[in-house]
Amino acid sequence: MSGQDKSIWDTLENIPREVLYGILIVVFVFPMVYPLGLPVPISENVRKWYRTIDELPSGSVVLIDFGYSGGGEPELGPMAVAVYHHLFKKGGIKVICMSTSIEGPQLWDKAMAEIRPEQRYGAQYGVDYINIGYIAGTETAMAAVGKDLRATTSTEYKGNSLDQYSIMDGIVDATSFDLLICYTTGGDQSEGWVRQWFTVYETPYLCSVLAMMVPTMLPYQNAGQIVSLTSGAQAGEMESLVKMPARGIKSADVITLTHILCLIYVVVGNVAQIGKKSSGGGR
Amino acid sequence: MTVRKTIPVVIVFVVAVVVMMDYFLVLPPVSEAGKSWTSGAVTNIQNWGIILSAFALGFGAVNLFYFHSRHISRRTPGQWMYSLWLLIVIVIFTVIGVSMGATSDGYSWLYNASFFALSATVYSSLGFYMTSGLYRALRFKNLESGIFVVVGLVVLARNAPALTVYFPALGVWGSFISDVLTTSAQRGIMIGGALGAISLGIRTMTGRETGFLGKLTEEEKGGGAVA
Repeated sequence: MSGQDKSIWDTLENIPREVLYGILIVVFVFPMVYPLGLPVPISENVRKWYRTIDELPSGSVVLIDFGYSGGGEPELGPMAVAVYHHLFKKGGIKVICMSTSIEGPQLWDKAMAEIRPEQRYGAQYGVDYINIGYIAGTETAMAAVGKDLRATTSTEYKGNSLDQYSIMDGIVDATSFDLLICYTTGGDQSEGWVRQWFTVYETPYLCSVLAMMVPTMLPYQNAGQIVSLTSGAQAGEMESLVKMPARGIKSADVITLTHILCLIYVVVGNVAQIGKKSSGGGR
Repeated sequence: MTVRKTIPVVIVFVVAVVVMMDYFLVLPPVSEAGKSWTSGAVTNIQNWGIILSAFALGFGAVNLFYFHSRHISRRTPGQWMYSLWLLIVIVIFTVIGVSMGATSDGYSWLYNASFFALSATVYSSLGFYMTSGLYRALRFKNLESGIFVVVGLVVLARNAPALTVYFPALGVWGSFISDVLTTSAQRGIMIGGALGAISLGIRTMTGRETGFLGKLTEEEKGGGAVA
């Protein structure tokens, strides 16, 4: 009996990774195909983010940094799209986008194809929104744009002169902006904007990063240097507030179920270890 | 100090002092726009930095060509075919990007259909490794690992959106862990890193750190003579 018990604990403790992966795939795919509609509570940070944009007076200018790479798009893309929906819905806000990630312009195009600002909100490129493209140098680029935007780049992302777009009238440097938003997969960007914009110009700063980056960015938020810090995984919450359900809300079920599975894995692993030890099989 | 070291160190020192002065101080004479005399100089320096960063991207591509061409010409076992594939992909992206434009439909299609899809797949596959690692590594073996397991479980549960609805206490515990424990530890790490960066900056500005100058002899570094 003891030998049989030992082998059960052994088996349980060393479940092949193919089995672990297989269960994970099932738990991942099932809610994607059959959405469960599990509740999505809206956290205080997402509410604060929403309020910050909602309270912007008409005519405000917002700078958005598409600082994420293709690998992070499934997490940060839905958040970027939901926030753009909010900005366009609100109306009267000038939205200027730049990229500190070389893939930014492509990912911005992807987001715009999803948002369809012209058709959905009647927003016009060059009047209500624009993309000034990728600017190399990361933190140097942030500092340069903050100091003198026109000296840093004279064209938008397709190479047309900025002078021909009315949205750029009166845009000189960081003081021309009322809000800064950054979506990023890199610490250089998320922390760089604090150093180069918040510290120098005190521009209110909203930051959305990968979930695993949140702990490194929390001190900035708790020190008041970031108005609101969110992870891309909270896109579902933003979509709920903006009332534009899309990819984020769909992935909320997946996030809940996969996290529960991870909890189960940890518990099973520990039970197996304790069982093995108590049956005399432990080291 | 030798010329090979002195000139770069002097340039670094002057540039660093001007940039730092502009960051922290508004020195007279101040323009009507309220900008210090250093502002124009720093704008130029930053633009040079941006141009150099862009140049470095192109230089990196040239270096990749050089490095992988050698593998192909030497037929390095288990490597040369990947090197060849890499160079083919670089050429395809460059030709389409230059001829049609980096924001053209053709280039965007190529990016979305190849690089974007692969990049997202590779990143997502981390989820599998993390799940397997979680199962095997997050074990209660002693007091320290026990604390780690408990904290890990709370954070995991708190990050599952629906669970916080059914168990509101998770939000309170999770906030305590992230806002108090994590933030305080992270602040310590950040302050330590910042102090290290300051000391490295001072060493670089004063020529004590010569790594950025490439390979120097002891004599060029200002140390002993070379045998």
